[in-house]
Amino acid sequence: MAEEKRVMLGQEGPETGSALRKALSLKPADVAFEVREAKLLGRGGAGFPTGVKWVLAGGASGERKYIICNADEGEPGTFKDRVLLEEYTEKILEGMAIAGHAIDADTGIIYLRAEYPYLIPRIMEARQNLIDQGLLGENIGGTDFSFDIEIRPGAGAYVCGEETSLMESMEGRRGEPRNKPPFPTNQGFLGMPTVINNVETFAAIPHIVLEGAEWYQALGHGENSGTKLFSVSGDVENPGVYELPLGSSVCELLELAGAEDTQAVQVGGASGATIGPDELQRCMSFADLPPGGSVIVFDESRDMLDVLENFMEFFVHESCGQCTPCREGNMRLLDAIADLKAGRFESKRQLKPYFQLAETMRLGGKCGLGQTSSNCFVDIVSKFVDLPDDAKGDA
Amino acid sequence: MARSAEQIVEEGLSRYGSGREAVMQLLTDVNNELGYVPEEAMRAIAKAVGVSNAEIYSVVSFYSFLSIEPRGRHIVRLCKTISCAMKGSADILDALRGELGIGVGETTEDGRVTLETTSCIGLCDQSPAMLVNDVPHSRLTPEKACEIVRGLE
Amino acid sequence: MPNVTVTINDRKTDVREGVTILEAARSTGIEVPTLCYHPDITIAGNCRMCVVEVEGWRTLPAACVTPVTPNMVIRTNSPRVRRARKSTLQLLLASHNSNCPECERNGNCELQDLAEQHNITINPFQTGEKPSSIEEASPGVMRDNSKCIMCTRCVRTCEELQSVAVIKPVGRSNDVTIGTFMEKGLDGVACTQCGQCINRCPTGALFEKSEVEEVWDAIEDPEKFVVVQTAPATRVGIAEALGLPTGRNTGQMVAALKRLGFNRVLDTDFTADLTIMEEGFELIHRLKKALVDGDKDVHLPMMTSCSPGWVKFIEHKYPQLLPNVSTCKSPQQMFGALAKTYLAEKEGVDPANVVSVSMMPCTAKKFEKERDEMRDSGYQDVDYVLTVREVARMIRDMDIDFEHLPEEKYDRWMGQSSGAAIIFGATGGVMEAALRTAYEVVTGKEVPFEGLNIEPVRGMQGVREAAINMPDEMAEGFEFLAGATLKVAVAHGLANARKVMDKVAAGEADYHFIEIMACPGGCLGGGGQPIPTDPDIRQARARAIYDEDAHLPLRKSHENPEIQALYAEFLKEPLGHKSHELLHTHYHPRED
Repeated sequence: MAEEKRVMLGQEGPETGSALRKALSLKPADVAFEVREAKLLGRGGAGFPTGVKWVLAGGASGERKYIICNADEGEPGTFKDRVLLEEYTEKILEGMAIAGHAIDADTGIIYLRAEYPYLIPRIMEARQNLIDQGLLGENIGGTDFSFDIEIRPGAGAYVCGEETSLMESMEGRRGEPRNKPPFPTNQGFLGMPTVINNVETFAAIPHIVLEGAEWYQALGHGENSGTKLFSVSGDVENPGVYELPLGSSVCELLELAGAEDTQAVQVGGASGATIGPDELQRCMSFADLPPGGSVIVFDESRDMLDVLENFMEFFVHESCGQCTPCREGNMRLLDAIADLKAGRFESKRQLKPYFQLAETMRLGGKCGLGQTSSNCFVDIVSKFVDLPDDAKGDA
Repeated sequence: MARSAEQIVEEGLSRYGSGREAVMQLLTDVNNELGYVPEEAMRAIAKAVGVSNAEIYSVVSFYSFLSIEPRGRHIVRLCKTISCAMKGSADILDALRGELGIGVGETTEDGRVTLETTSCIGLCDQSPAMLVNDVPHSRLTPEKACEIVRGLE
Repeated sequence: MPNVTVTINDRKTDVREGVTILEAARSTGIEVPTLCYHPDITIAGNCRMCVVEVEGWRTLPAACVTPVTPNMVIRTNSPRVRRARKSTLQLLLASHNSNCPECERNGNCELQDLAEQHNITINPFQTGEKPSSIEEASPGVMRDNSKCIMCTRCVRTCEELQSVAVIKPVGRSNDVTIGTFMEKGLDGVACTQCGQCINRCPTGALFEKSEVEEVWDAIEDPEKFVVVQTAPATRVGIAEALGLPTGRNTGQMVAALKRLGFNRVLDTDFTADLTIMEEGFELIHRLKKALVDGDKDVHLPMMTSCSPGWVKFIEHKYPQLLPNVSTCKSPQQMFGALAKTYLAEKEGVDPANVVSVSMMPCTAKKFEKERDEMRDSGYQDVDYVLTVREVARMIRDMDIDFEHLPEEKYDRWMGQSSGAAIIFGATGGVMEAALRTAYEVVTGKEVPFEGLNIEPVRGMQGVREAAINMPDEMAEGFEFLAGATLKVAVAHGLANARKVMDKVAAGEADYHFIEIMACPGGCLGGGGQPIPTDPDIRQARARAIYDEDAHLPLRKSHENPEIQALYAEFLKEPLGHKSHELLHTHYHPRED
C-alpha cells in the first residue's frame, strides 16, 4: 500500500519561529552549508541545488541583497504552492527569513501570481503574526538581523515563473527572460545578489534547519533528498496535493489518488513528460521524470491529440515572444496538431520537419519555456498517435 | 467618488515610490480599480518613472490580466487549460456566453460583465474553475456558473 | 584581461578572457550567422541564429551573448547546429512577407542572404501569404510589420542610441509586433524621424517614404525647372549605395545627377557656408549681448539647428531650451528659400515653376521640408527630399555606369563651396567650420590649429568638449572678447544629446556653443545613408570627408566667392533684413 510521507504538510509542524531562532544562533554561512548538505533541489521544477544558490549569493557582494519567493506557479495542473500559501504561510515566511539570514539580505519579496489575489490577506496576516512574535522586522530575536517581507503582484504571464523574467517583471518590464550569465546570485533583482526559490523550497527550509541535512536526505528514495509535493488532477478519484518521498514511482502516486484505466500521465506539467501505462514504474525525480509538481492523469476515454492541442494552445498563449524558436515554433507545432487531427499526415516520416523543429526548440530556445514546450508534442505524437512509420508516396 | 486614473497613480507613487520597480504595482492598482489601464494612466506612470510612453504600453500589452481596453465592472476569467478542459470548461463557456449574450473578450452592453478565458489558475483539484474579479469559484456546473454571473451587480 | 585558450571547430586558439563566443570565432576568421546582433547596440540574444555547440552543455547557447570560459570546446557547424539554424531560418521565413522582388531591400537583406547561404529551398512551415501592412502617415520613416522578424534592433536603436524609445514590442508570443504608444503610429508620437532604425533593420520592415516617382514626374515635365541640391555627406555615401567602396565621389555624383535630367545640380554645401555666416554672426551677436550689454534675456549656450531630427527631439523633450537653438534654418531649408527667390531671379525663371529637390543622407529632412515655417519663398521651399538610397535607385534605374562616369562640376550661383561646408557631414564639422570663420572674424587671424584642422572637436566620442582661448588683440569691434575662453561641446546621437541637455537644463554647463547631430557620426551616419552601418563604415566615411576638406583650395566659409556675391547682390549682410525673412525661423514645443 502506497503511503504519503507528510513533512511539509504535517499536521503537527515545528513550532513557528523555532527554526529561525536556531538559524540565528548559527553563522550565516553555516546555514547555507547545511542547506547545501541537505541536497535540497529547487522545488519549482528546474532542480538547481538550493544551498549552492545560497552559498553563491552569500559570497557575492552588493549594496543590498534580496530573497525572492517565486509564487508564480503557472504550470498547467500545478496548485501545490497555492495550498502551501493558504495553509502553511508562516512556515514559508520563516523559510524566507532564514534564507535572508544565510545570505545577509534584509528584504524578502513574494512575487505572487495574479491568479491568487485572494491569498494576499492570508499572507499579510501571517506576516503580521510573525512581526508580533518578533520573528520579522527589526533586530529579530535580539540579534542585529532585520528582515521584512512584501508582496509584488504578477499580472498574468506563465513565463514569469522563469526566475529572470520574474525579476524583469518585478522591475516593471515585460516578463522576458534575460541572458545568463549574469546569474541572479550575482546580479538579480535591481542588479543585486538575489536568491530566488520556489514556495515549496522555502517550506522545506525550517525542517532542514531543525532536523539537519542528514535527516532531510534520508526522507527521499536513494539519491533523492527530501519529500516532494505533487498536485494531482485529471482522471483521478481524489485530486489534490500529495507529499511523497522524492523518487517515488508514478504508480504509487496514482494508487493514492485513485486512478483507473489510465492511458497516460503527464508528469511535470505541460512542459514535462508524457508517459504511457507501461512506464508507471518510473520515478519522479530529477534524474528520471523531473517533478515540477504537476501530475495530470488521462484515462482511456481521452483523445490525446485533444490534450496535446490544449497544451500547445497554452504555450502559444504564454510564450513571451522574444526568441524565434519559441515564438514561431509553438505556433507551427499547433499547425501540425491541427493537420494531425484532420488526418493530413499519412506517416510519421512526414512529421520529420516537426520533430526537427522540436529539437531546435529544445536546444535553441532562450529559456526553460522554449526549451521544454515541445516535449509534449514529441512524447504524445510518438507514443499516442497511431501512424505508420512510412507511407506510400513518402520520398 | 471614483478616483481618476491620475489620482490612483499619484497615490500609488506615494506608496511605492517612483522607481522603475513600482510599475507593476501602479499598473495593477489602476487595472483593478478601473478595470483597465487608460492612456492617461500610462502617460502618468511613464512620466513619473522616467521612461517613454511606449515602454509602459509595451509592458501593459505583455500581461494577460492588464487591459488597454475598457472592460466591464466585473471580470469573469474562466480557466481553459487542461484539467478544467477535461472537466467540461467548454460547456461552462457555452453556458456563460448564452447567459451573458457575449463572446470571449467582450463586455455586456450594460457594462456589467466582461467574459475572458485564461490559462491555468491553479484550481485544478476543484475544476472546472473561474475567477470572478478576485474571487475563485470552483467545481462549476453550467447552472452554477450562470447563477454566479447573474448575481453580479 | 588575460588570454584563455578555447577550441573552435577543432582549432585551438587564444582569445581574451571575457569575450563572447561570437567575438572569439570572428577573431579567428570563423563566421557565425547573426540577425539580432548589431555592433552599435546591446546584445539581445533573441533570434537564435548564432547558436553553437559547446562540449558538455545540454543546450545550444547563443554565441553572441555567451562568454568564453577557459578550455571551452566550441563547434559552430556541427550537425545539430546546422539543423537548428535551418529550422530557425525556416521559422523566420514562414512568418515573413517574402515578396522579395517588391521589397526595398531586395538584394540588400540579411534574411535573404542567410536563406540563400543556408540553402533554404523548401520551407515545411510555410503558411501562405503575408500581406503588407504599411504604416502610411509618417513623413519620413515607414514601417511594414509583415517583413518584421522581431530582432528588435530598431527598438534598441531607438532607445539606446537615440533615447527616444517610441517603438517597442507590443503584445506577447506569436502576436507580438513592434508598435508605437497606443498604436498612434510614428507620426502620432515623439519619433524624431531620424531613420536610425532603418539603417539597422536587417530586412525591409523599415524604410523611407519614397519620393522617387514624384521627382521623375517633375523631371519629365518640360514646364518645370528642377534643381537638386546635394548635402555634404551624400558624396561619401553614394558609392556605397551603388555597391562600390566608400570614397570621395563628388564629381561622379554631379555627373550622374545631370544624367538623371535635373536642370541644375547645385550644392547644399553652398548653404552650409551660408549657415556658417549667419550662425557664426548669431553666436557673436548673442555673446555681445550677454557680455557687453548684460542682456539677461539672451540665451546661451547657443545650439546648432542643422539636424532636423535633433530639432524635433528638443521640441518634444526639452521645450524649455528652444530659445537656445539657433534661429538659422538648416542648410537644406536655406537653399530651398533661395532657390525660389535668388536663384529663380538669376536664372530668369518663374519661381512657381521651380521644383526644388534635395538629396540628403537623412529621413528627418523629409519631415523638415513639410514644416509650416518652411515656406518663406512664398512656396514650399523644398518640394522633394530623396535619400542617398533613393538617388542610387534612380541611378540604377537609368543604367548609369557610375563607377566610370567622368567627373563634372556643380552649376553656378549656388554650387560653390568650401571645405568648411563639406565637414558639416561629420560630427563636429559644423563646430569646426563655425570656429574657422568666427575666430577669424573676431580676431582677424586664422584659428590657431595646424592646417586649420580643429582636432579636439573631431572624432567619434559621444560628447566632446573644447576650449578656445581668444588672444589679447582682437579685430575692431570685438575687443570685448579679448582674452576670453570660448567653451564648446559637440554631441552626436540623441542619447548623447540628452546627456548634454540634462547638464544644460540643470544649469551645470558653461558652454557657449553646442553642436548636436541626431545621428551617430553626424550626417555621414544619417538615416538616409546606405545600409548597413557600423563604427568602421562610419569611420571610413569620416576619413573621406576630412580628406575632401583637406584637398580643397577653399577651407573657410567666408572665403566662398559665391557667398560673397550672394551677400553683395541679394542679402546685403549677415543677420540682415533679407536673411531674417528667408534664412531664419522659430520652433515650437511638441507633446512628449
